[in-house]
Amino acid sequence: MKVSRVWVQEFFDHPLPNVESISNALTFHAFEVEDIEKKDNDDILNVKVTPNRGHDCLSHRGIAKELSAILGIPMKNDPLRASISLGPKTDSVSIKLEEGNLCSRYIAGYVRGVKVGPSPEWLSKRLTSIGQKPINNIVDAANFVMFDIGQPLHAFDADKLVAQKGKYKILVRKAHENEKMLTLDSKEYALTDSTVLVADGHDDRPLGIAGIKGGHYARVDDTTTNLILEAATFDGPSLRKTAQALQLQSDASKRFEQVLPPTLATYAMQAFITLIKKTAGGQVIGFSDAYPTAQEKRETAVSVDHVNAVLGTELRDSQIRDTFKRLDLAFRERSGLFTVSVPFERLDISIPEDLIEEIARIIGYDQIPIVELPLFLKKPEINESFLKTELLREDLISKGYSEVLTSVFRNKGEREVLNKVGGDKPFLRDNLADGLKEALEQNIHNKDLLGLEKVKIFEIGTIWNRDKEEIHVGTIAEGEETKEISLDQARVNIGKENLPVSRTLRYQPFSRYPAVTRDIALFVPGITNPDEIEKVIRENAGELLVRSGLFDKFEKEDKISYAFRLVFQSQERTLTDREVNTAMQKISSKLTENKDFEIR
Amino acid sequence: MLIHEPRGHLHPISSLIREANLIFLQMGFTLVEGPLLESEWYNFDALNFPKDHPARDMQDTFFLKDELGYVLRTHTSGLQIRYMTEQVKKGIMPPYRIIAPGKCFRNEATDMTHEAEFFQIEGLALGEDITLAHLKGTFEKFFSKIFKGNVEVSFRPSFFPFTEPSIEVDMRLTGTNVIKKLRDKWIEIGGAGMIHPQVLENSGLDSKKYQGWAFGPGLDRIAMLKWGIDDVRLMHSGDLRFINQF
Repeated sequence: MKVSRVWVQEFFDHPLPNVESISNALTFHAFEVEDIEKKDNDDILNVKVTPNRGHDCLSHRGIAKELSAILGIPMKNDPLRASISLGPKTDSVSIKLEEGNLCSRYIAGYVRGVKVGPSPEWLSKRLTSIGQKPINNIVDAANFVMFDIGQPLHAFDADKLVAQKGKYKILVRKAHENEKMLTLDSKEYALTDSTVLVADGHDDRPLGIAGIKGGHYARVDDTTTNLILEAATFDGPSLRKTAQALQLQSDASKRFEQVLPPTLATYAMQAFITLIKKTAGGQVIGFSDAYPTAQEKRETAVSVDHVNAVLGTELRDSQIRDTFKRLDLAFRERSGLFTVSVPFERLDISIPEDLIEEIARIIGYDQIPIVELPLFLKKPEINESFLKTELLREDLISKGYSEVLTSVFRNKGEREVLNKVGGDKPFLRDNLADGLKEALEQNIHNKDLLGLEKVKIFEIGTIWNRDKEEIHVGTIAEGEETKEISLDQARVNIGKENLPVSRTLRYQPFSRYPAVTRDIALFVPGITNPDEIEKVIRENAGELLVRSGLFDKFEKEDKISYAFRLVFQSQERTLTDREVNTAMQKISSKLTENKDFEIR
Repeated sequence: MLIHEPRGHLHPISSLIREANLIFLQMGFTLVEGPLLESEWYNFDALNFPKDHPARDMQDTFFLKDELGYVLRTHTSGLQIRYMTEQVKKGIMPPYRIIAPGKCFRNEATDMTHEAEFFQIEGLALGEDITLAHLKGTFEKFFSKIFKGNVEVSFRPSFFPFTEPSIEVDMRLTGTNVIKKLRDKWIEIGGAGMIHPQVLENSGLDSKKYQGWAFGPGLDRIAMLKWGIDDVRLMHSGDLRFINQF
């Protein structure tokens, strides 16, 4: 979520520290900050709110609350701690929840005589700072409250709704078969019968896709004067399914998906009305609140001993007391047991371990000591299947085979994955041989570069048949037939222990350009050490020589012929014949400075 | 080239798993394995992922065509449940210590740092007195052996449905024998946390009696850091220009 530093500051009298300190505070005690963008006199932090805190922290208030706890700076006022009640009630709008389990609360506010127009500058600025486009004072008020305290809101043009004897009726229902709806942005959506809609209860006309997107028909525009405002609590899981099915995700749907506390709707409606009255005038006729089951109050208890037993710390009562105070978690304390009255917006706190996490992260994970595990008194079991693969690896490697891993995704197979990103190769392999053949071909081109006489590779990996998954062992080499058997069938010699691990210190990126191979052979006196010849070659070949090696030798009278294979390659380009010829000439002329050497 | 047939080469991931197994074996950990095609119960439900919750989006899951209820495992964490359930069935109660290295899948576009197929190493220690402090100690030991240097381990808050508290683990290597590129820098290693009581209950264990932690860092990432490998796609390239360097 994009968080404006200036906006967060509004919650405090005391100035917050600089943006780096804010970012560190959040990262080490709450959420990772992905990046910070400077914008005019503001800093916009991109905060990765975790899915367990979408209930309360996809809002500036939520982030301010966190900072207050972490930095120990009290908030000047927390809008969610005010004691409020919505009034007056009105019977001008009635609400019917046909799908009670999909909408746990629906508050409608009825306002008459507003003047729709542009928002005041401060409001436009707030929204622009976090990348939102100001539209008009009504829509902007809804968005502002959402980004301020986390509750999505909506406004309908009341005059578009049917009034019977001056009374409106809001209906929350599932979409009918083949029902379609035009959304605010003039796009038509074909709805499924699992979609929840907000509709006009008198004529059944759909007004919006609940919690996701408003409808075009009753949208607020410049001519609107009377409003029906919505602050509702739609069911997260069903809304999420709908948003995915329609491929329609919005800032509102993202918040509902995380499940919102119904109590929040009261605060949001109050804030919405207050802001509209300020920026668009109008008269509040009243509210109607369909709220069949009130949100339950929850308590969770944890003892100091439990906290220390889980964290491995020696925290004292006073530290826990202090943490709960900072977090504004009301508690009772009795002989080391802290019973917390969980605030309505903290839906994430339900078990003692949740409170332990709160304590750990606010106090700081750097306070957790480093302790070695106690000795383990049981004997670790030997995993026979793993041991077998290890022995097979060693056996094959000792025979010159190198281990490759090839992709499990293929163009054909007996089983297939859905929706693979990119769409390419959606089948699960039913053999290793196909992948190994490709890997062999690819490596044969680099044989000289690798200094191999013969490319030999193996893979131990999973394959899938129609009815089962199993591990196979496959080998392939030039001039050899491909062998593939299941791990169960494979035979290994038990015995070897302490199998070697790689001693390589650093990997060297290899050139992506082709290598050029040249051979050089020469007659030399029988007493000549071939290493000496190779040394001359290496010293005169220039930096493009990447590999050299003796590959042939024969004796003729008192002379010996040695043949060397040289491989040239550049990290930056494809080599030309000329470049390689120049290097070869330099080698030849240096070698023939020795009158006893004769290039063949 | 001429004289003898050289030894072949071990894939760096296999080498790393071998090394990790040796280190953890000395601390009493048993290596366990499991299927790559996993039921949603083990991969999600038993790990306390709510149905139709954004937490499942963190996973970018591969589902199977015409095989409802199965996924290519998105992490090795399902092996926690598999192992604990099996032990309980056999009447073997904690303490447990396991590692579970293996291949996992994410349905995402590939680039230099992202692969649809990757390796994770799951670890779990459960008993009556296993604390988060032991996790710090265990990581320090493991990483100092893998990276052959002094290691500092640091935790940050995070969220996983199957751990509470949940943390992200960072480490910093110090000392002159650490290569300059890694020295003194905080490096993100992966997720961990105290096993969620519900996960223990789902495995048939009394969460009032037992507690412990689990972790699941990526092995590809550790290999890339250890050897300076610049492209994760090399792991499945089958290219001996890569493999023969190990």
